Amino acid sequence: MDKYILDFSATPDNLPIIRHFVQEHLAPYISDPIRLNQLTVATEELCANSIVHGNHSDPSQKLRLELCIDKKTLHIYLYDPAPPYALHKYPMPPQLLRKDTNRPGGLGIYLIRQLMDKITVRRRGQSSVYHLVKNLT
Amino acid sequence: MEIQLSLSPTADGLTVTLSGELDSLSAPKLYDQLSQAIKDHPNIKKISFECRNLSYISSAGAGILLLSLDNFGHRGIDFELRNVRPEVYNILDLLGLTKVMSVSNG
Repeated sequence: MDKYILDFSATPDNLPIIRHFVQEHLAPYISDPIRLNQLTVATEELCANSIVHGNHSDPSQKLRLELCIDKKTLHIYLYDPAPPYALHKYPMPPQLLRKDTNRPGGLGIYLIRQLMDKITVRRRGQSSVYHLVKNLT
Repeated sequence: MEIQLSLSPTADGLTVTLSGELDSLSAPKLYDQLSQAIKDHPNIKKISFECRNLSYISSAGAGILLLSLDNFGHRGIDFELRNVRPEVYNILDLLGLTKVMSVSNG
């Protein structure tokens, strides 16, 4: 299994870096541009939620993204110092505009749930560990 | 790649040409410029987004389009996304935007 690691601080300025990291390392395995984009979006949404909502865009907080891939399966791990957030909080399908805020809400989590085959989160040591799985066959 | 925006008034509306990536960093810029343009041209009836060179959209980018539709659509302004790349269309379709505004493939 091949493994790629990106360490980054919790600032939205790093989102383009995260996207390009994913695209660069997954492109050799995934030829379909729509599928490659879907995995890029799912990973960015996961990281964006942790950066903005979990860590309040505090650049002193450090996160780690791991991509583990073989011919059949992609595993995405995000190690986040903040407490885990509720990946299953928002309904399916999402409310395009939330009734409480009248703003879009839950779209990112909805995309993650739509695009990935399995999503888990658990607390391990000082980190919340998000684990996303996608079957590539 | 950061988003590049260009706004051009037309006879009854506004054409917004988008290039680059629309994400949580760039989406507020789009909303601010759109708000200002609508303030400057209060009688426009249609906003067309030219998306041929829009290479990426995240939920934050899609959310800004929804917010714009909600805030400005009630003024009778129609929204249209033209020449959307397949990767971007796929994300907009998953989120249901293709059901609430006109979105055409590139």
